[in-house]
Amino acid sequence: MKGYLGIDIGSISTKGVVLDENDTIIASSYIWTEGNPVSAVQRLISLLKKELPSDIQIKGIGTTGSARKLIGLMVDASIIKNEITAHAVGTMHFHKDVQTILEIGGQDSKIILIENGIIKDYAMNTLCAAGTGSFLSSQAKRLDINVEDFGDLALTSKNPVKIAARCTVFAESDLIHKAQVGYPKKDIVAGLCKSIVMNYLNNVGKGKKIKEPIVFQGGVSKNKGVVHFFEEALQTNVIVDENSHLMGAIGIALLSKKMESEKVYNLDVCDISFETRGTECRGCPNRCDIVRIFKDGKHIDTFGNKCEVGSR
Amino acid sequence: MEKIKIGIPRALYYYYYGKLYQIFFEKLGFEVVVSPKTNKQILDRGSFLAESEMCLPMKILLGHIDFLKDKCDYIVVPRIDNFGLDEQTCTNFLALYDIVHNLFSIPILHYNIDEMHHEGELEGFIHMGKHFYIDMITSMQAYEEAKEEMEVENKKRHRLMRDLLLKDQRKILIVSHPYNLEDSLIGKDILKYLQKQNILAIKSYDIDPNLVYRGHTKISPGLYWHFSKKELDSLVYAYPNIDGIVFLSSFPCALDSLVYELTMRKIHKPYLHLIIDDINATAGIETRLESFLDILVQY
Repeated sequence: MKGYLGIDIGSISTKGVVLDENDTIIASSYIWTEGNPVSAVQRLISLLKKELPSDIQIKGIGTTGSARKLIGLMVDASIIKNEITAHAVGTMHFHKDVQTILEIGGQDSKIILIENGIIKDYAMNTLCAAGTGSFLSSQAKRLDINVEDFGDLALTSKNPVKIAARCTVFAESDLIHKAQVGYPKKDIVAGLCKSIVMNYLNNVGKGKKIKEPIVFQGGVSKNKGVVHFFEEALQTNVIVDENSHLMGAIGIALLSKKMESEKVYNLDVCDISFETRGTECRGCPNRCDIVRIFKDGKHIDTFGNKCEVGSR
Repeated sequence: MEKIKIGIPRALYYYYYGKLYQIFFEKLGFEVVVSPKTNKQILDRGSFLAESEMCLPMKILLGHIDFLKDKCDYIVVPRIDNFGLDEQTCTNFLALYDIVHNLFSIPILHYNIDEMHHEGELEGFIHMGKHFYIDMITSMQAYEEAKEEMEVENKKRHRLMRDLLLKDQRKILIVSHPYNLEDSLIGKDILKYLQKQNILAIKSYDIDPNLVYRGHTKISPGLYWHFSKKELDSLVYAYPNIDGIVFLSSFPCALDSLVYELTMRKIHKPYLHLIIDDINATAGIETRLESFLDILVQY
């Protein structure tokens, strides 16, 4: 039996999917990155292994997400692609006629516009992480609510408070103020969800024509409150796939299938010692921050260097 | 007698006139010191000296001047007001002479261009010569010779771009100022990346500006910034032959934010807007470029 592994290593969560020849999911996993992509992927693969049948042959591995290069090197991936392409490919596999993909992840949010199965345009948030998953989870902690319950609580509110959505810092002080004034928790939570939607539409979705059908994905799409306010703001139906959080991993697994070679990958990276060391290169005045990667104690590659000096 | 050393910072107007200054002063028997390619140290120094609201290229310029200040006797800081009616330059750049004068104690050679008041390029060079008691005729000759050499080089670049545009390969037009794209810290990585992906980069400022007369009026008839107009001229010229457009601007450039936004709304080809600031974010830029190329090539 052939299988294709797709790994999506995001800033907050790490997602893994194994597809078979017919593109059906035979194993999937979703865990927290916890600031250490290498160990997260090692955990992820050992979790996936438990779900896989014993006769599986992994014929392709793809990596995407912000740590794609590092992990791609670690697992010797056959394809390393950016998350925008991966998300679009994954979504188009399940929703052939999709025209707009809204995605809100842990650190970034993006919008992808598709026409007749071809990516036409995309936009990403800039340096500012306002209105992304990490903002939501930090506010949930502040309000002492589980992120998982956030959406349901937001839906119970009839009168969401208005929260300044332009900037996370302002939003936070506004939120504290509203709480001190005496608004109930559910209205504040609903206001937060609404502020994320408004921030997204005013920032990332600015000037883009959002056409139906719309698919919403990324970790935040699991929050029913945000979905509700998206539907309210766009005045149309927003599709949330049951695998919306895995879409990037599915997309990259599909792409790795296209790249199929005769090679069979083994999933024993969990046992290999894989170490990264970050240093400042002193080769020239640029002083690049470089990361040296060691596999079994041997230096195999360097990231972050602008010139050849750093790769030694 | 030891030669007088003229310092030319490798920033901003260097990419338009640097060679011209260099040849001119060398012909007159001066020693010319050009600062090295921009590196992190120069940028850090520049950011330290600069006001927070100055744009990235200005910060880089200050860093270069800081590098040069004890290595030469004079520094050239051009002050270009306009190239004629409705041909203005950025107001911030106009202030550079005074900013540098305030920050550093090194003598500045002023090169003032104000064509609306009949101070053209030639007058500017004669004026610089006058500073060293060089007579008008000698300066004029040196200028003419330097200009001729520059023209030959410009023609070469223009021809190269014209040939590239006719090639049967994927082409991306990069609309940017040369001080952004040619700078080794800001834009060079983008050119390198495109080259690695086997994509031809057409630089907007390398296209012969005389090929399209007032092409920019197709996008905006009311524009009055000289260099923005030139960019749009070349965009209009190259438009039929290119597959995509990358707009590269530096933060917080007011001209670009206006002109590029305006242009993006009026073009019908895939485009990407990259904004660069002094926080090192090459990873983000690579992701954006990579996905943009995926759109062009359809992975």
